[in-house]
Amino acid sequence: MVGLTPLSAGFSLPFVPGIGGVEVTVLFPLVTFLLILAFGRYLPFKGAYLGIVSTGVGFLVAVATVIQLATGAGIRHETLHTLVAGVEGAGVTLTFGVLIDPLSALMLTIVGLISLLVHVFSLGYMNAEGEIDLPRYYAALSLFTFSMMAFVISDNLLMSFVFFELVGLCSYLLIGFWYRKPGPASAAKKAFLVTRFGDYFFLIGVVAVLGTFGTAQFAGTESFVTMAETALESGDASGINTFGFGAQTWFTVIGLLVLGGAVGKSAQFPLHTWLPDAMEGPTPVSALIHAATMVAAGVYLIARMYGFYALSPTALSVIALVGGFTAFFAATMALVKQELKQVLAYSTISQYGYMMLALGGGGYLAAVFHLTTHAIFKALLFLGAGAIIISMHHEENMWEMGGLKDELRTTYLAFLAGSLALAGIFPFAGFWSKDEVLYETLIHALGGGSPVLFVAYALGLLAVIMTAFYTFRMVLLTFHGEPRTDAAEDPHAVSLSMKVPLVVLGVLSVVAGLLNMAVLKSVLPKDALLLERWLNGETVGGEFAEGALTAEHYHHVLTSEYGAGYTAGYGGLGEGTLALVGGVVALVLAVIPALVAWRLYGGADPDPHMTNLGSLRTLLMNNYYQDEYQVWLARGVTLPVATLANKFDQGLLDGIVDGSGGVSLFAGGRFQRLQSGVVTTYVALLALGLLVLLLVFAVTGGWL
Amino acid sequence: MLIELLLAATFLSALWVFVASDETAPKLAAWLSLVPLGLSLYMWTQFDAAGNGLLAGSEIAFETQIDWFQFGQYTLQYHVGVDGVSFPLVVLVTVLTTLAIISSWTPIDERQSQFYGLMLLIEMALLGVFTSLDFFLWFIFWEAVLIPMYFLIAVWGGPRRKYAGAKFLLYTNLGSLVMFVGLFMLVLGLGDSLTQLSLPAIAQGLQAGELSRPVFGLAGADLRAVAFLLLFLGFAVKVPVVPFHTWLPDAHVQAPSPVSVILAGVLLKMGTYALLRFNFTMLADVATSSPAAEIIAAVGVVSVIYGAMLALAQRDLKRIVAYSSISSMGYVIVGLVAFTPHGMSGATFQMVSHGLISGLLFMSVGVLYNATHTRMVGDMGGLADKMPLTAWIFVAGSFAYMGLPLMSGFVAEVLIFIGAFDSTVVAGAPVFTAIAMFGIVIVAGYLLWAMQRAIFGPFELETDYDIEPAPVHDVAPLAVLLGLIILLGIQPDLVYEAIQDAIGPVLELNSVFGGELR
Amino acid sequence: MAVAPGWYLLLSAAVFCIGLFGVLVRRNALIFLMSVELMINAANINLVAFSLVYGNITGQTFVLFLTALAAAEVAVGVGIILVVNRNFDSIDITDAVTMRW
Repeated sequence: MVGLTPLSAGFSLPFVPGIGGVEVTVLFPLVTFLLILAFGRYLPFKGAYLGIVSTGVGFLVAVATVIQLATGAGIRHETLHTLVAGVEGAGVTLTFGVLIDPLSALMLTIVGLISLLVHVFSLGYMNAEGEIDLPRYYAALSLFTFSMMAFVISDNLLMSFVFFELVGLCSYLLIGFWYRKPGPASAAKKAFLVTRFGDYFFLIGVVAVLGTFGTAQFAGTESFVTMAETALESGDASGINTFGFGAQTWFTVIGLLVLGGAVGKSAQFPLHTWLPDAMEGPTPVSALIHAATMVAAGVYLIARMYGFYALSPTALSVIALVGGFTAFFAATMALVKQELKQVLAYSTISQYGYMMLALGGGGYLAAVFHLTTHAIFKALLFLGAGAIIISMHHEENMWEMGGLKDELRTTYLAFLAGSLALAGIFPFAGFWSKDEVLYETLIHALGGGSPVLFVAYALGLLAVIMTAFYTFRMVLLTFHGEPRTDAAEDPHAVSLSMKVPLVVLGVLSVVAGLLNMAVLKSVLPKDALLLERWLNGETVGGEFAEGALTAEHYHHVLTSEYGAGYTAGYGGLGEGTLALVGGVVALVLAVIPALVAWRLYGGADPDPHMTNLGSLRTLLMNNYYQDEYQVWLARGVTLPVATLANKFDQGLLDGIVDGSGGVSLFAGGRFQRLQSGVVTTYVALLALGLLVLLLVFAVTGGWL
Repeated sequence: MLIELLLAATFLSALWVFVASDETAPKLAAWLSLVPLGLSLYMWTQFDAAGNGLLAGSEIAFETQIDWFQFGQYTLQYHVGVDGVSFPLVVLVTVLTTLAIISSWTPIDERQSQFYGLMLLIEMALLGVFTSLDFFLWFIFWEAVLIPMYFLIAVWGGPRRKYAGAKFLLYTNLGSLVMFVGLFMLVLGLGDSLTQLSLPAIAQGLQAGELSRPVFGLAGADLRAVAFLLLFLGFAVKVPVVPFHTWLPDAHVQAPSPVSVILAGVLLKMGTYALLRFNFTMLADVATSSPAAEIIAAVGVVSVIYGAMLALAQRDLKRIVAYSSISSMGYVIVGLVAFTPHGMSGATFQMVSHGLISGLLFMSVGVLYNATHTRMVGDMGGLADKMPLTAWIFVAGSFAYMGLPLMSGFVAEVLIFIGAFDSTVVAGAPVFTAIAMFGIVIVAGYLLWAMQRAIFGPFELETDYDIEPAPVHDVAPLAVLLGLIILLGIQPDLVYEAIQDAIGPVLELNSVFGGELR
Repeated sequence: MAVAPGWYLLLSAAVFCIGLFGVLVRRNALIFLMSVELMINAANINLVAFSLVYGNITGQTFVLFLTALAAAEVAVGVGIILVVNRNFDSIDITDAVTMRW
């Protein structure tokens, strides 16, 4: 991100295509996938190196893209493949294309980076552990990288849906990597099914968008976002089909439908239940898919079409409430978990809640910022957890650990950096981004937004307290105190291929916050808010900066009469002062529980204090019985209904069919007695019949 | 000329295989089936039809029209030809037959020459159904399909094969009867103006105007409505539409897997193809009239959801796929009745796509069955370990069935949804569509469950022999089908363009549109 | 010297009834076959008679066909009777009933 002030135009990395070759970047992992699928067994390290090379190239291209955008190359929006062409203007045209703008370039870089690091990490985590079926692992990982990158560069909603589903498939394959055990097989099924439920609404949304606007493009004057905005701004919805609803109502409906997909993928309440189960997959997968990238897809999707959401205050309120509640709700569960990865899983859900909260609260920038920092520090935490799990011989229970900090120095430091970022301690990455999330929500709540925003904000603040507490509980239990088991006495050494990603991410966790130090906006020069300038397109060039995809424009729509009608209020303080105050409050709220955690778990041999919570702990350990009710919906409701339908089908419907056959058979059985086999009888019947016929003719013919 | 060659080659192949010995028949049939396959692929390169074959102003590809004999006032003709709707199905028939024949090598171990002869015979009849343009000729082929299929089920089938075969034959034949009555009401109603039974002639006669002569005391719009109902009922059995579907699971479960492939892959498409040709083209005015359209849409939605719910309750893999076929064919109905470009064309595309996907699933279930000798989900487990390639192809096929993007099923379903959502013909179309779309969740439910139990998890099957990976000739057809599914998923316009071209004129029949196509 | 058509019909009816009577009451397959022949010939008489009455040759032509048919029928019939005799050791038609239901 060095080049945000335009460097000499045309600067690029040598031999890297950059913005013009993004599709090559995306296809590279696809080719890798096919190669590993075909020849994985014969490749060195079962395809690991091939994966590293292809994601490395991907990362380089993403960086080159960022640099080119930063130096004013302008955005790229191009249709690459026509899936279905509407004939003679009848019916919509379905296409695949690329849209490279600051948002997608940023996300592409994140995906490329984490993907590369996870591939490297896997060398130590998977290969060194002598896992079998590694080609399958690397093939799925490559397929995921392809799908995720393609999702990121999508230029229309349908293409987004396509790759949204494909990352879901990869998630399924990778959660179920150890399919021989019943746990992963079941978790994979659950993950796909629950997200599919969300995708059902998303697909209705896609279909509705296509039906309403005739296009699903994100960008350009003919995009559905712009068309919706124009319709509301001019009050003239004649060019679009709103199916008999008012335009804004209908847009709200569509927005909420698409939100369904985001809620499923980004594991928001009530569809969050799959994510903790998804921890059955290999830990690098959890880091890549279930923390940093795929789970971010939902948030990214909302951000991608934020101009559309900014038109509907209702949709925004719902997003804010869902986000705030999820942030709080998931954090409570993370308080009591004993497995390292479970704590991280609930923390992930909670953090994505923050991003949703930001989006709903009008903080597009904040959401993207938190998405970026979270991707870094949560991937770090998961990879760190992976390193710990390996060194602990696949033990995940934190109560079986303790005192690891001396043996695993590098891991400890990196993990600590990630934890401080997660807890939101100054000056680590999470502090800046989380603070901005809360700040944006607060000012729009103060500015006379719906009271829902206050509720969501309060929930977000509560979640800050809990986040700090469970984070330090986790760190203290894992690394501090005395070793509680033999495995913790003498952990495995962590190999170099695992250390490198940890160090890289650790450093980034410390510095990523510098991207947008909005808390200090009253102190800093305006140019220092790099991410804000980036998303406003100030570096990209005039055409984009005035276009509809900038944060500035979203803000404009958000605050306009025809849009959500948000206004910023500062509660009597100035803008900069409020930011500062908010930052200090959030820091205090984070430090106090951290100290409490230190007090409770900092000793050499901490007690399990959470058992004092009694039945509340049981409730939290059981995740508020969320899984139970969803299983009950499947087993207790759907299955009996299906069985009943089957009984009805076999009994009644098929019964009628078989019954009509039965009547014929029965009647036939009686009538066949006439066939005595004696020809004479037949002749007699024939003759009788003839006589009867004659009689009938005689009577009707009038002879008698 | 090419169509005659196609029919003749298939027929002669069938005869040749009938007289061949049981040892040579399997390979011989596979080689011979390459002839129609190659021919149909060659025809693809030469295909130049434009418009809808039944309607005026169209150009029919490979058309032959010869007077056959006189029957009363009607000149019966040998009239064949293909357009954008029928040609993809012709190719589907040739592809699926060849693959089904190859996948029969392992499971069919008695009376081979008769089995493969019948397979080729059914191929010929199916080709006839999709190429005939004369009602009489079409009806002969339509009925001729049933005979080989009956024997294939009743001779080589499972324990209850006779019951299933008879049920299939009687039920679908009853449907044909009802349909026949319906069509003849129209033919008689058209009166003296109609001098041939060619389908384009009937269709264009019906477009031209009122039915001049009363039949059974019915005339005009009433006659059309009653004929529509009879035709719909007749074809509904074939599709099958709930509640006329109960023959299907029995037939599928009892039939040997390669026969199920033909049954699900092509036979069911006869029903929807005929619906499109007769109900939605010839009687488009009835199909788009108010209560009729909503009722048909409701029937389609019920088929989707009810079929999927039934599949959810099954334990037999084949029954699961059979019931989900009912569900998938429900989408076709939903798409057809929408009378929108993507709705109708998507429905036609779904016929092709579902042919490939259900073929793949039945075939892979068959390959798994060859090794395990059970189809009960509860008995299996961990097959991915023992037969990795087959198992993973089964997984891929299941995902195709769930409508995974970049596979043909997704394109077909999304097109249907897009088309149906927009429909101006069906009142409340968005609601119907949204309900029908819930099918994609249920289908994921039961297929994921089936995969988890049968393919993944620890290996559980108790057999007194080792389970070996399937031989190459069993897996190769699966791979070919999977490749085609992905190809059509990425480049649907390979066939979709032709379909759209042939559907366009049908849409223009809809007076509701009045020329205004969105 | 034409005979009135009614007489022909009477004769034909009489022959037919004799044949019918034979078919109905006799159990010997040979007699049975003969009775069938009688009935066919009753029809022949009718055909010839109407042919004469209407001066139309078609009826007589048909008689030729029927005569050939009757001959064929006898050939097949006797063949069947021989087989029946071999299988059941009698030519009683009430014995050969194994093909019923």
